[in-house]
Amino acid sequence: MDANIDFTQAVKGYILEEFLPGENPDDLTEDLPLISGGIIDSIATLKLVLHFEERYGIVLEAHEADKEHLDTIRDIAALLASKVR
Amino acid sequence: MSVTAAATVSSQGLSDTRQQGRIGLVDYLVILAQLALLLVLLRQFQIESGAFLRLAMLAFAGFAVHAWLPLSWRLPFFSLLSLAGIGVVMGAENAAWLVGIGLVMIGLCHVPLSFGSRGFLLLGVAGVLALQRAGHLPFPWSDAIWPILGSMFMFRLIVYFYDLRHDKTPATISQSLAYFFMLPNACFPLFPVVDYKTFRRNYFDDDAYRIYQFGIEWMVRGVVHLILYRVVYYYLTLAPHEVSEPAHLTQYLVSNFLLYLRVSGLFHLIIGMLCLFGFRLPETHNRFLLASSFTDFWRRINIYWKEFMQKVFYYPTVFKLRKLGTEKALVIATLYVFLMTWFLHAYQWFWLRGTMLLVVQDVLFWTILGLLVVGNSLYEMKHGRARSLGKPTRGWRDMAVLVAKTYATFWFICVLWSFWTAESLPTWFAMWAALRGDYTIEVLLFPTLILAVIVIGSIPGDSLRNVRASEQSERAWQRGRMATLAGMMFLIGVSVEGVHSQFGRDVGTFVHSLRSGQLSRLDTAKLERGYYESLLSVDRFNSQLWEVYMNKPKNWLDIDNANLKRFVGGFAQTELIPSFAQTTRFGTITINRFGMRDKDYEIEPAADTYRAAVLGASLVMGWGVGDGEAFEALIEDRLNREWSDGTFARFELLNMGVPGHKPPQQLVMMERALEFEPDAIFYVASGREVTRTLDYIAEVVEKRVEIPYEGLTQLLEKANVVPGMDGATVMQRLTPYGREVLAYVYERVVSEARARGAATVWIFLPQVREGSWQEETREAVEIAQSAGFTIINLEDVYRGHDIDDVRLAPWDDHPNAFGHRLIADRLFIGLEAQRDLIFRRADD
Repeated sequence: MDANIDFTQAVKGYILEEFLPGENPDDLTEDLPLISGGIIDSIATLKLVLHFEERYGIVLEAHEADKEHLDTIRDIAALLASKVR
Repeated sequence: MSVTAAATVSSQGLSDTRQQGRIGLVDYLVILAQLALLLVLLRQFQIESGAFLRLAMLAFAGFAVHAWLPLSWRLPFFSLLSLAGIGVVMGAENAAWLVGIGLVMIGLCHVPLSFGSRGFLLLGVAGVLALQRAGHLPFPWSDAIWPILGSMFMFRLIVYFYDLRHDKTPATISQSLAYFFMLPNACFPLFPVVDYKTFRRNYFDDDAYRIYQFGIEWMVRGVVHLILYRVVYYYLTLAPHEVSEPAHLTQYLVSNFLLYLRVSGLFHLIIGMLCLFGFRLPETHNRFLLASSFTDFWRRINIYWKEFMQKVFYYPTVFKLRKLGTEKALVIATLYVFLMTWFLHAYQWFWLRGTMLLVVQDVLFWTILGLLVVGNSLYEMKHGRARSLGKPTRGWRDMAVLVAKTYATFWFICVLWSFWTAESLPTWFAMWAALRGDYTIEVLLFPTLILAVIVIGSIPGDSLRNVRASEQSERAWQRGRMATLAGMMFLIGVSVEGVHSQFGRDVGTFVHSLRSGQLSRLDTAKLERGYYESLLSVDRFNSQLWEVYMNKPKNWLDIDNANLKRFVGGFAQTELIPSFAQTTRFGTITINRFGMRDKDYEIEPAADTYRAAVLGASLVMGWGVGDGEAFEALIEDRLNREWSDGTFARFELLNMGVPGHKPPQQLVMMERALEFEPDAIFYVASGREVTRTLDYIAEVVEKRVEIPYEGLTQLLEKANVVPGMDGATVMQRLTPYGREVLAYVYERVVSEARARGAATVWIFLPQVREGSWQEETREAVEIAQSAGFTIINLEDVYRGHDIDDVRLAPWDDHPNAFGHRLIADRLFIGLEAQRDLIFRRADD
């Protein structure tokens, strides 16, 4: 797999398209709290996980579906990067 | 800076001050000043218990030290303070047992064995504790530790163990102790399921001053919730049988649901207190009245529970089943979550009360809610839902749709909630007959109020939640502080008697009532019923009554009602078991050969003996006091001591009291009493005579017990009541005739007694707990007077005495031995005042 994938952009793009259509991309920053801020809920988390699992052929664990790993775009990108490596 | 923009500040960019949890002297003094005000507020409104006030003082004093300690000392300090808090609330011995058991369980999580082996060991210990809790194994500690031990470990141990398996960061001893024994828990068995990872992760993750200020805001919000709860609890709640028209029905539905404010209020208090020690925990509720769908409701109400279920059950299931397809996995996982929610509700009750709880409404409620959430989730999976960063923009049409959805969801939840909390399914169904009642203008009151709240609540605001206070705009931060301060000042001001009494008697009485936590009139009635029967609704809900019950020892009085009474045929249904004796913790209970808690008497009195039969319930029988300590025995002794040299050489008072007996049953007891040729019948009324009369009639109608009194059956016919009808419907139909039914009972007692030459005396003795219990007293006195009784009204017999000096226990409002002495003294004065009228022979 390409180690130079820009996960941050991929995650941001997906979130904007799937959950926040019409929102200003500049407002969706890398450290904006998504789960604790109430932007993505359990259903959105599930969609997000399944999307990236399918897209990158990786497997995420149930205990990783939490604020520690998925609360911000930075966290999600780091988790994906760790899986791809 | 907007919230959204502000929130972009990286957590990695925390300032040194924030990382070290430091606070400036001025800010520290500002927090201390607010805590002092908060303490006054808690005291003025008697928030929760005296124990909570002591705990709050300990916490605030602890904060004063904690805030200046080096960061590395703070967690150990908090742990020690929490342990001290347990000692303050529970006493040293109970605290030692509780902490000891807790340490064993925490220790087992860390023994150097495989995860599975540790889990097995934990299950083994939990199994032994469960057997002890259920009473199958002995235990050396007090019953009092179970609810707190349960609330500390029953869910948190699951989360802790789960995180131990998955979290790579090792836990320190202080973290573990702080997590399980966290300070506010000592007072609150009803405690949110705090996530261990969040508990550690959010520790001092913001500017210390702002975390503390946030904590104060949460606690003030909690107090506001609890005061609003009291308004609902004292003034708006209705019993199902009181729901006789559509306006009542809307009031019932709304007030029943709003009782949940107590839970949200307590959770705010708890989380706010934890903030004072650096735990910046997220919100526990998010404006749950404004849920616009069932999934939204599930997300907004009791968020910590939802996240616990999500972490431990939902995600593991959905991830395991994802090969089946997302939708199937989602449906199965969601239903599993609701199944487990139901099960864990029963599991929670087991640890708190020691009995399992399996009730059909619980199963149906969680099934229905589960199915609704599944349907909603599938819809959201397919169509998504509106989300926004910051303040959403909505046109009028969108706003109208949102309000309509929220309004519909609110009422649907109210209906579902009423179903869940109903004592029985027939009671719940019977309540809907109110829709056939009169449609008055009042029917619009609650629908309009709710609509107004929803419209105002739907005005777009910042949608981002749980933002660090340091990342809020300065304006929002200042606004929050000002609102908190103003709220505290306002509430403290209003609570001062000199202030609220200026607004007239009604306002004064209203505010005064909100200043203390007491049982509502409905719960007081339930408490009374609970002495003699098992109360399902008390078992199931976290009401104030539930908490009173939770502290009640299992073998209270060493005897239960079932051992004391036996069922007999006929209208009275029960009587005391003749020739029975048992020693209880309050003395011996001896029942004579005639089924009276009294000495043995001859059936026929001696010629120079004055004999009176005392009719009544547990108060007369002397519930909770030893032989010879009930007021009836004390009066008899005194009459024999002081008056036996007069007209009569001897006085005999026959104690005909039977616990749980209600006014109609006294008709049977009086017939029995007349066999002993009394010179007088003393009828002892103890409050809510009309309601208790109807309660009993409803019971016998439902059970198809034959009613041998023509006057009563005529009244039932008039009210369109037929045998076998469910109790709730009988109550509804009979309520308009309540006065007539009681009047029939009283008139019959008087006429039957007079026909046998006996004087009739009606003695009113109040419940120890003042308040709603006395609301029918005036009416009962009037009815008794009209019936021809001689009246002795002792409604102020306990006045001027501390309730705890007079009653048996918080869960048992019967007078203790001292209370009976008070009654005897006052009753003697009452009898003396009307001696000529009462102590005479029929032929005098």
